[in-house]
Amino acid sequence: MSNLEILTLLELAEGSPKDRAALRGGAITAATGGIVRWFGIIGQRSLLLLVFLAVWETAPRLGMIDVTFLPPFSEVIAAGWQLAQSGELYDDVGASLLRALSGFLIAIVLFVPLGVLTGWYARLGNLLNQTIEIARNTAPLALLPVFILLLGIGELSKVTMVVYSCAWPLLLNTIAAVRQVDPLLIKSARTMGATPSQLFRKVILPASLPTIFVGIRLASASAMLVLVASEMVGAKSGLGYLIINSQYSFLIPQMYFGILGITVIGLAFNAILEALERRLTRWKAPAV
Amino acid sequence: MSIAKIRFEHVRKEFLVRGKDGGPAQSFTALDDITLDVRAGEFLALVGPSGCGKSTLLDLLGGLTTPSSGRILLDGKAIEGPARDRGIVFQQYALFPWRTAAQNIEFGLDIAGLKARERRERALHYLDLVGLSGFADRYPHELSGGMKQRVAIARSLAYDPEVLLMDEPFAALDAQTRETLQGELLRIWRSTGKTILFITHGIDEAVVLGQRVAVMTSRPGRIKQIVDIPAELHSETEDVRSLPEFGHARHEVWSLLRDEVLKAQGAEVPASERERVAKAKELVHV
Repeated sequence: MSNLEILTLLELAEGSPKDRAALRGGAITAATGGIVRWFGIIGQRSLLLLVFLAVWETAPRLGMIDVTFLPPFSEVIAAGWQLAQSGELYDDVGASLLRALSGFLIAIVLFVPLGVLTGWYARLGNLLNQTIEIARNTAPLALLPVFILLLGIGELSKVTMVVYSCAWPLLLNTIAAVRQVDPLLIKSARTMGATPSQLFRKVILPASLPTIFVGIRLASASAMLVLVASEMVGAKSGLGYLIINSQYSFLIPQMYFGILGITVIGLAFNAILEALERRLTRWKAPAV
Repeated sequence: MSIAKIRFEHVRKEFLVRGKDGGPAQSFTALDDITLDVRAGEFLALVGPSGCGKSTLLDLLGGLTTPSSGRILLDGKAIEGPARDRGIVFQQYALFPWRTAAQNIEFGLDIAGLKARERRERALHYLDLVGLSGFADRYPHELSGGMKQRVAIARSLAYDPEVLLMDEPFAALDAQTRETLQGELLRIWRSTGKTILFITHGIDEAVVLGQRVAVMTSRPGRIKQIVDIPAELHSETEDVRSLPEFGHARHEVWSLLRDEVLKAQGAEVPASERERVAKAKELVHV
């Protein structure tokens, strides 16, 4: 599954901005219209989710699926509650979040500026182009053994994996963003006497921001994907570890709870980025 | 001739374009031997067939490119790159979409290093001048084409350039808006006393706006003739388009232009070559 598909799925899960606007508008009318309709709207939006959860709850209980392999949803939540009480959950979530966030932020700090420079200076672009093509077509997970060999099994190899996987969407989108800046805007700024540094700060960066954000959101999806995989292969903490370790120990409800945890973190990540993006690109015409 | 605000002296501009089918690079003459004086405070309209190098002329004047030979003087001094003594208004507005109307007007002042409060004051003043007070906080996508062009004009005026260069600024607007803006521009010109070089392909527009109309030849562009427009045609109160003088002036410009348009069509540049030229220009600009 490509990064783009993951992004689309995330959006599906969360509802597109239009749906949410509709919900907001709907909620206001519902407040006056009565609680029944309010439930109706919630139901409509989350109908599939509710059906899914209902099937998950009932199918094992009715013996349609082996309870050992797919425990009912409520049991998964109960197992999660136990994990939370023992403190194990916090350790795992904390470890995963720390790795994902630090890798993600390091990648942004390193590769957005590099992308901007590469996009702006054609020569640097020519120099790096081939390397970028080769590196980005080498699946990060294929390099996992290499990172573990070189950097050990600790935090360093995992964070490096995340940085590596975030690098390519960030670089490519930032390069494209800078190259796509309307030449007329550059021309216009130059006629007003903008120095190269002013041109950069006041035109290139704001004009590139929306496309850079596409890279940032793709990178965040990629960060979670790679992190979970690398935690499954060699780690002593993290949600990936929780999932694989629960499976090995046959703690199946815990395993499912780990999976849910990843979904929730992914959704939260995306929601935060989306809010940030909306704030920073408020000037854009609403895409209808 | 100390009164010439802008002086073109035998200006020639060539572009190097890639040869056909990977052949050797060829030179492409966009402008040839342009000699033209624009007087201080004058409104000069420049018309020419499409592809005659009008916009190249403006780029040269804006300091975005340099002439292959000859020179361009502003107040007797050769132009060295872009500066805020010349303001350019583009056909496609070129507003920064992430800045509000007022912030767009502030751009040049920001570049010049003015303090925020002073910038804001001036921006509001010029918004008022172009009839857009109350639209300060609108983003460009919330404005109509005519309003955008008003903002663009205000932005160019805000840093108080001596010369205003306008590259077909009203070409993308509907006829009514265009006429309104032409009137507004004349009013602004009278109240600010700027020297305006206005490039257009509309004969009517050139006659309505210009004190003089310079007609260019087809490619390579030269100045074919300069037509003086009678002062009656710049009356603020009358419908100048219905005056007989308007018809005469219009006909004179039209006759001068007709031959050139025919010539330009005869020597229509093939699309592939056009593209190469556009590429070559882009390379020069960036």
